[in-house]
Amino acid sequence: MSQLAVRGVSKRFGGVAALTEVTFSVEPGEIFGIIGPNGAGKTTLLNCISGLYDTDAGEIRWEDRSITGLPAHRIARLGIGRTFQIVRPFGSMTVRENAATGALFGQPSGRLQPRQALAYADTVLDLVGLAAKRDYPVRRLTVPDRKRLEVARALAMRPRLLLLDEVMAGLNPVEIEQALDMVRQVNRQGVTMVLIEHVMRVIVGVCTRALVLNFGRPLIEGKPEAVLRDPRVIEAYLGERYARQGGPDASPTQADGEGGGGAGQ
Amino acid sequence: MTQRFRPPATALRRLFVGGAAIALVYVVLAPLSSTDAGQQLGLPFLTDRLWFRVATTVAMFVVLASAWNIIGGLTGYASFGNVAFFGLGAYTTGVLVSLRQWPFGLALLLAPVVPALFALVIGIPLLRLHGHYFAVASLGVGVAVGEVVNNLQPLGASTGLFLPIVRSNLLFFYLMLAAAALAVLVTWVILHTRFGYGLLAIRENEEAAAVIGVNTTFYKVAALMIAAALTGLAGGIFAQWNTFINQENVFPIEYNVEMILMAVLGGAGTLLGPVAGAVTLELVILRLAGGGAAAAYSQIGLGVLLAVTVIFLPRGVIDFFGGQSRLSLWALRRSLRETSV
Repeated sequence: MSQLAVRGVSKRFGGVAALTEVTFSVEPGEIFGIIGPNGAGKTTLLNCISGLYDTDAGEIRWEDRSITGLPAHRIARLGIGRTFQIVRPFGSMTVRENAATGALFGQPSGRLQPRQALAYADTVLDLVGLAAKRDYPVRRLTVPDRKRLEVARALAMRPRLLLLDEVMAGLNPVEIEQALDMVRQVNRQGVTMVLIEHVMRVIVGVCTRALVLNFGRPLIEGKPEAVLRDPRVIEAYLGERYARQGGPDASPTQADGEGGGGAGQ
Repeated sequence: MTQRFRPPATALRRLFVGGAAIALVYVVLAPLSSTDAGQQLGLPFLTDRLWFRVATTVAMFVVLASAWNIIGGLTGYASFGNVAFFGLGAYTTGVLVSLRQWPFGLALLLAPVVPALFALVIGIPLLRLHGHYFAVASLGVGVAVGEVVNNLQPLGASTGLFLPIVRSNLLFFYLMLAAAALAVLVTWVILHTRFGYGLLAIRENEEAAAVIGVNTTFYKVAALMIAAALTGLAGGIFAQWNTFINQENVFPIEYNVEMILMAVLGGAGTLLGPVAGAVTLELVILRLAGGGAAAAYSQIGLGVLLAVTVIFLPRGVIDFFGGQSRLSLWALRRSLRETSV
């Protein structure tokens, strides 16, 4: 049984078809990658799953029940956490309080009081490596730290599925390695993951399977290495000329240098 | 949770303690007013009825500013329609006492209920709007409710309603003071519970709040209802205190501007900012009120003050003394950037 099943989901914004009949499913414990050029609809897809957008057609099933059309807070409490590509911390709170909000509102079982939530926040801050900065106001955090905080806040919800929207964008190679370790560690604790990435090293490095979107349509799905060699994928990223040349040299190893810009927002 | 509320700087704390001490002395000595004992003590304000009016008015604006702070300061929805809750509270008490001959105490119990229910009805559609759109829509509601009441014959229309006179300065002073204490207490409780976290999360980023599990619609509507109930309570007390209500004196849009100014000037989103703002500003306004031309200029002055405060001290005077705000070009640039003007 698939844990998350997306069936024929479509989403239009006026005359623009942002998503057309997207179908895929994620098994428990998987790390599932979603890639595609800018504007391919990756973030829109995440917004549909997390309930920020209503879908125009299709169904989204989570642990054998339909979550299509449920409000975002209900979906969150069913165990689906997410991060935003452009980080959205609660600016007037400290790092610790930010993480605590996730525990306070998002945990599926029972209601925590602020004191317990703050205590739980400490454990997730430890996991993402922000424990030393827990009393900082958010504005003192660097960009990589803000991304960690974004993950910490989602993790504090004790999600069974974590949707990560380009958490690696804008990080340097060392920081990417650290972030990859973090992803693996969270995954080992039994959290299924869906991650949107432009950094191909991440997709190949951790993902069990990957889906390529292009102009809102699913292009191909499969093992990351196979997917990245597919001529259609190379064409989508680099244009027809490179696809004809073929070969591993032409594969988009680092197809994007935009670093957390406004793609697909 | 407590660490977010930085202790104010010592100077500010002294000011607060001093102000609170003066207020306390006045509250305790108030029963001596207009008695021989008061005369003998030689305290001028105790023999002066004007002082009771001033003190009661100040307490009333503490309620209004603190209530506005719950929806405007904590939740981030700048309501220009809160005065409708004040008017509805006043008219609830007014109608029950003057047309239905209810005892005042009983009628006052319903003064928070009617505005809160009204907030529920308008909050669900209105709170879907954001920023300027919400501000303008709430202003529309504030004006419209007054106009409707002004044209309803059963409510006395433009003649207004007269309530039987209750001669007790002391009663209304203590009632309004209790309402002010209640407003501050409610704010304190909100700030120290889950509910407050939810409101702040909504203020900082509503979508991020939703995806971590905050039922944003419920929280926003609840915050508006609490603000409406407190504002309506003050309106209910005002109706009996003033013994006469009509559109002009319980639906004035200036009240709404003033409560916003007080909360923002003192420190929106803080516990005591609106209190400090209400006391300071109301005393200034009352001081200027008698001054003929000065009264006209004061309106302009208040507008300028609001603009300057929002630009230079977005977190209010409390934060200026106790926190990060500084009067500098750098602060101005940052604030313009953050408010994306």
